[in-house]
Amino acid sequence: MHQNQTPERCGKAPRIRPAADFVEREDGFYLYLDMPGVSREALSVHVEDDELSIQGRSNHGLCNGERVHAMEFGDVEYHAQFALTDNMDTRHIGAQLANGVLSIYIPRREAQEPRRIRIEVI
Amino acid sequence: MDFGSFYDFPHLLDRMMGEVSQPYAAGGRQVAFPPLYIGESDGTVVVRALIPGARLEDVELTLTDKMLVLKGELKPVQGKYYRQERPTGPFQRVVRVNVPVSAEDVRATMKDGVLEVVLPKTSAVRPQAIRIESR
Repeated sequence: MHQNQTPERCGKAPRIRPAADFVEREDGFYLYLDMPGVSREALSVHVEDDELSIQGRSNHGLCNGERVHAMEFGDVEYHAQFALTDNMDTRHIGAQLANGVLSIYIPRREAQEPRRIRIEVI
Repeated sequence: MDFGSFYDFPHLLDRMMGEVSQPYAAGGRQVAFPPLYIGESDGTVVVRALIPGARLEDVELTLTDKMLVLKGELKPVQGKYYRQERPTGPFQRVVRVNVPVSAEDVRATMKDGVLEVVLPKTSAVRPQAIRIESR
């Protein structure tokens, strides 16, 4: 395949949801999102109410005048939202970006002991 | 010379080489894993691959006479999965490079989950300006 024209994907950044893994371990929950080509500066992670939202834009520096022989990916806007549940400690969420994967750690919230209520007989 | 035949679109060759690629849905459509970009300028051929999660030791690159072979393996993480969309397992892509490249000058880098291989063409195939003299 050979293209002398500028490929269709050049300059466009469609909005997509990144591929995600959600895993539970003893110490809490882990969310992994594939976001190749996204730098730390082009990434934002927010927690508001009970929702975790993630945005990032890739910058692959493609279409810079090279003759393109194959183009199976282009730049994208990543968007993802996840609902946080009652058993998650939303105040201590941690995030790190490494090798094109955003890893988010959500500690488990300790379950509150059910309170025993004494019933008096009158 | 038919310059269009410099590179074969890799899918068919991958299948011939017994590829075990994983579908990659993040781009909205399924392609072989890892998805590739192949570009060419006057002096170089550039191959880029999206391999999020791969460390340097997870990827092996070999360049034979006419083929660049990219292979490796992505391992699943530990824990109880509730959702699994990221590709795992062995992968391989083969790019046929029909233009002579200087094998010892090939450079490969990984950044933000993107592998970039720059293959400089040998000087014999680089376009060179030829001065025309008048007589």
